[in-house]
Amino acid sequence: MKKILTAILTAAVALPLFAAKPVTIKGSDTMVIMNARLAETFMAKMPGTIIQVTGGGSGVGIAALINGTTDVAASSRPIKASEVDKLKARFATPGYAYPIARDGLSVYLNTANAVKELTLAQIRDIYLGKVTNWKEVGGKDALIILYSRENSSGTYTYFKDNVLMGRDFSPRAQTLQGTAAVVNAVANDPNGIGYGGAAYAKGIKFAAVKKDAKSPAILPSLETVRSGQYPISRYLYLYTRVKPAKEMKSFLDWAVGPEGQEIVTKVGYFPVK
Amino acid sequence: MNWKSLVVPLALVVCASAFAEDAKITNAAIEQAAAEVVADEAQVPEQPEQAEEATDEVKPTTPTTEELAGKLESFGEAFTEMRNQLENLNRMRITGYLQAQYVNDERSTNELTGPAATRNLDQFSVRRARLKFTYQFSPTSRFVLQPDITSSGVVLKDGYVEFTEPWTTWKHTLTAGQFNWPFGFEIMYSSSSREVPERSRVVRTLFPGERDRGVMLSGLGLGDRLSYRVAIVNGTGTAQSFDFNKRKDLVGRLGYSFGAVDVGASVYRGSDLVTTSFNAKGIEFDKERQGIDVQWATPIQGLGLRGEYITGKQAPSSGTTRSVSQDVEGWYFYAIKNLGTRHQIVVRADDYDPDTNIANNAVRTINPSYIFHWDANSKVMASYEFIETEANDPDDNVFTLRYQYSF
Repeated sequence: MKKILTAILTAAVALPLFAAKPVTIKGSDTMVIMNARLAETFMAKMPGTIIQVTGGGSGVGIAALINGTTDVAASSRPIKASEVDKLKARFATPGYAYPIARDGLSVYLNTANAVKELTLAQIRDIYLGKVTNWKEVGGKDALIILYSRENSSGTYTYFKDNVLMGRDFSPRAQTLQGTAAVVNAVANDPNGIGYGGAAYAKGIKFAAVKKDAKSPAILPSLETVRSGQYPISRYLYLYTRVKPAKEMKSFLDWAVGPEGQEIVTKVGYFPVK
Repeated sequence: MNWKSLVVPLALVVCASAFAEDAKITNAAIEQAAAEVVADEAQVPEQPEQAEEATDEVKPTTPTTEELAGKLESFGEAFTEMRNQLENLNRMRITGYLQAQYVNDERSTNELTGPAATRNLDQFSVRRARLKFTYQFSPTSRFVLQPDITSSGVVLKDGYVEFTEPWTTWKHTLTAGQFNWPFGFEIMYSSSSREVPERSRVVRTLFPGERDRGVMLSGLGLGDRLSYRVAIVNGTGTAQSFDFNKRKDLVGRLGYSFGAVDVGASVYRGSDLVTTSFNAKGIEFDKERQGIDVQWATPIQGLGLRGEYITGKQAPSSGTTRSVSQDVEGWYFYAIKNLGTRHQIVVRADDYDPDTNIANNAVRTINPSYIFHWDANSKVMASYEFIETEANDPDDNVFTLRYQYSF
């Protein structure tokens, strides 16, 4: 009995020491499905490795990287200068960026919407509140219902910086939590418009985007995003505080390798190379 | 009793309101809901007559399509109202921190009267308790108010409005009110993040309170590498509520980031009105500072180095017999080593010479600290300051144990 108790106690003390320390990935809601798929597949290949994936938004992930509560931040926008400053001040590192996918930031329309294409200027005017009726952009006579993301979202920041050119969204834009909620709202609203990652496109259609009135209308696809023809494309990043080692390095190397990039493509994004 | 005719519409109303966040309520949806109720009713078999007679309940009537539409519309309106209120609340951001500490100071004596410097300084206190209110209606304007609430009273630390132009990538920003002097690194580095209890002696002496009132123009460009801040300020700091001279002071910093290395050059030009032994109304003394600062995130994991050198002219104290400012000089150097994500070991060395034309009057401090980050919000700091004055070095070392909570 004494031996058994000793063995149990020894195991209780020793096991946590040998247990694998999980690698945590936190941040972008846009990337959460892709990151989860990558993590699941990698864990299946490398038993004993634990990778935990959570969302919350790019800003939340980077904040967690700065305060030391996550190992990896997932972000659908580049890290800001002010965030790099905080990282340098707290951990004496500028951080390390790993672009793991490309995304064509898509404009969602309800499948019943007669509008098929929009110029960047029209999208901007719609979201700034200057254009409020679909008939102004070739659709039916109906009020445009705007769906947007919360301001902690990297997708929100990217869209604001690159489509709205830094200007603020119309106060009429309804803020929703997560790209899936935006897709769902547009799918149920014949007059709705939304934006987000290409991977979430279920029950809606993409607007073909024209750089300007004279340019051709381009739908987001592997070719158009990769070639840069599609006018609103971006990198999706994983950021680390330290130079990756051990499981983290293996995972990141694998994610940008052929197998990882195949999963990226299956989920609906585009490979980085 | 046909109970389903009551339950189903009610459930639909509840569900519709619950999912209203994600789905826009449309006439089509309402019509569909009503159609489902009718279809559901059609499938429910007639209940035996006896059972219906056995109850004395008042029979509820089946809501009509119009009634359902009205209910859903009212839910939709209430939801929109709540969301608007929530968005307004989201524009207001409250952050803050509190530093509770125990200090053991070698200068302490048990004394009921006498100057503050010689009284008992060994005590518990709340060093800083800051609440920062930021209201941002749009990315182009911002309101910031930050009081410091301690046992000594309530003092306004920051109070300013900002306007950011939206047309260029520089995001030039005009700030008006009370804000940090844009000089060097340590002044603008928050006390909640600093790795030692107080700023270096040179900064505390030449920039008391770290803030002033005025207007500032700032921007960030060249791929977020080049930053500038330039301000016109009263020059009196925040200790005085009044600016005694008409002249305003100019202060600014130009910074450049090479990635792991950041450098900055700062300048301050102004004057102080000081009473002298020969002019009771006061005369203008030059107030000048120039400095350079460097922050380096070294290739050694978790090791950061920082330094700043400041030189300039400082007005003498009131009643002086001098007619020109004193030449002053000082510097500090930090070495910060992170051990994992929770432990930090820090050493700061600093030096301040209040008059470079007089020998043996500089004060040097070596300040080792240990910081334990309990979680994302709280940390504990233990710090010891070895203070050495060149001539007649008194016993004035200070130990500080501080607990900070920030949110």
